[in-house]
Amino acid sequence: MTIRLLPQVLKRETLYMIKLQHIWKEYQLDQELIFTALKDISLTIKNGELCSIIGPSGSGKSTLMHIIGLLDKPSKGTILIDDKDISRLDDDTISTLRSEFVGFVFQQFNLINKLTVLENILLPTIYARKKMNYQPEEYAHYLIDRFGLKGKEKSYPNKISGGQQQRVAITRALMMKPKLILADEPTGNLDTKTGQEILALLLELNKNEKMTVVIVTHDKSVAEKTNRRITIIDGNII
Amino acid sequence: MKNYFVFILKSAFFDFSRNKGRTFLTSLGILIGVLSVILLIAFGLGLKKYINDQFESLGSNLLRVLPGQILKNGSFRGGGSNALNNIRFDDKDIVTLQRLKVVELVVPVFTRTVNASVAKQTESGDLYAANEGVFVALNAKAQYGTVFTKSDVEKRSKVVVLGPKIAKKLFGTEDLAIGNNIKVEDQTFKVIGVLESKGGGGFGGPDLDSFIYMPFKTAYVFNTDKKIFAIIVKAKTDILLEDAKTEIKTALLKRYKEEDFSVIDQAELLGAISSIFGIMNAVLVAIAAISLIVGGIGIMNIMFVTVTERIKEIGIRRALGARKKDILYQFLIESVILSLLGGLLGVLLAFIIVTLIQKLFPAYIDVGSVALALGVSSLIGIIFGVFPAKKAADLSPIDAIRYE
Repeated sequence: MTIRLLPQVLKRETLYMIKLQHIWKEYQLDQELIFTALKDISLTIKNGELCSIIGPSGSGKSTLMHIIGLLDKPSKGTILIDDKDISRLDDDTISTLRSEFVGFVFQQFNLINKLTVLENILLPTIYARKKMNYQPEEYAHYLIDRFGLKGKEKSYPNKISGGQQQRVAITRALMMKPKLILADEPTGNLDTKTGQEILALLLELNKNEKMTVVIVTHDKSVAEKTNRRITIIDGNII
Repeated sequence: MKNYFVFILKSAFFDFSRNKGRTFLTSLGILIGVLSVILLIAFGLGLKKYINDQFESLGSNLLRVLPGQILKNGSFRGGGSNALNNIRFDDKDIVTLQRLKVVELVVPVFTRTVNASVAKQTESGDLYAANEGVFVALNAKAQYGTVFTKSDVEKRSKVVVLGPKIAKKLFGTEDLAIGNNIKVEDQTFKVIGVLESKGGGGFGGPDLDSFIYMPFKTAYVFNTDKKIFAIIVKAKTDILLEDAKTEIKTALLKRYKEEDFSVIDQAELLGAISSIFGIMNAVLVAIAAISLIVGGIGIMNIMFVTVTERIKEIGIRRALGARKKDILYQFLIESVILSLLGGLLGVLLAFIIVTLIQKLFPAYIDVGSVALALGVSSLIGIIFGVFPAKKAADLSPIDAIRYE
């Protein structure tokens, strides 16, 4: 497979994709009790990297993922994308950046059941602020072909298999041609065989398309397939 | 941009069709509100038109001279024949008015409720005692027989002319009445004519079709004091009503004080009646509008439920790049659709009801009230949708996407 899905991947100027510097995340549980989910995390993810964030549940890996995915803000520290600190931007700007920068793949697939497969895939494009230099529908059909979803365009998510749903989610994640694919336990809800297929798909995106892929998992066998493993325990990277 | 709305609308309608019962019940509140507002406005408009038509059919160039202050600042004020301190018109006033150059006809009027009977059939009716000029003034012609004359008035002939409604009630058909006797209270009169129908009655307009017309002096048997309740004056056609009014006032002021009597024309009377109905109608519409607010609260309530049910969806959309305002608009649009849906159904139902009852009741729907209803229901959708939509927009993306 040599089709270049994302030609602009090769043109990146900065060496890193995202740089986290001294990130702290604290939750105020009640008046006196503060829970510290992330403790002084510094981390750089490079362009084209395939890495995993691994740790037991409650270790802070989900929090870390949310911060990398711009879904959450750190309590302290800076996040650099293209040398700009984005940790203090307002919600609108962050939302727009999120739509362009990152594509999510979730354990629960997180498709909207009342929209068809095609509509789910096109959903990110309706919130796009930037002018897209491609036809969303055309690109969607191209990806649908590419990921073996042809014929399912008009199906609803609850009428297709889990593996197909996750492929729809991956397709959706690619729609905005993001710089980073962030997969949160992407195989967690699938049987072993389908899980391996989905994992293979993500690895292939990294290998052939030079996509930056970050997989969050608690499963060592999944982590072992990645080139770099970031282990997090009790809010610390070890 | 096209997709943006298509997706939002599709999402909304999917939700509506999945919760058909709930959607319908929610819209029902607005439906009832809009329906009642439109119907009341329609009745108000119909009534106004009806009263107008009625007065127009009552003859033109007419003035009514009444004892007491009937109208002041366009509204009724006490007065009428029953007020205590009122003056009482008599023959002298009739003569005074008849002498005026501007006047064509002067008709003294006395009315009272009587029992009229034919054989064993008894009906309650209004005795309308006047001179022969009444038929010209009110533009009323005989359908069968003839109307009474000046000589009938002077000779106190025991004759009556019937309105078509009362004739039909007493005799079965109008033509059967002619030449037959009718008992009014305990006196017997001969029916010499039945008038053409003037239509209507009710709603403030006098029902000319139900009157028993009797020569003024004949009616002295029921009016021993020779009371005159009102004087109808028909001005000459080339005379301005306003000028005639001034002349009449000047003439009567020689005998009475300003506040003792009123000279009113139809426009004034119409204005007064319209304003009374207008106020009543406005009050009713205002009460009906309360149901719109109740409907709006229903929408707010269900929108809060919808937001809670769809927290996960909100989280997904936020993760895919939706801004707070995208979520806000989505739920606002949904609540406006919900409200507008009720509004449209309300308008539709109002049209059906008005069409059905138009034969029985004067009512019509104008474009303005439809536009108002739809505008108001959209506004209600926005006002009552804004809190739930704000709640949805302010959800943290993390909490939303984790929500199960």
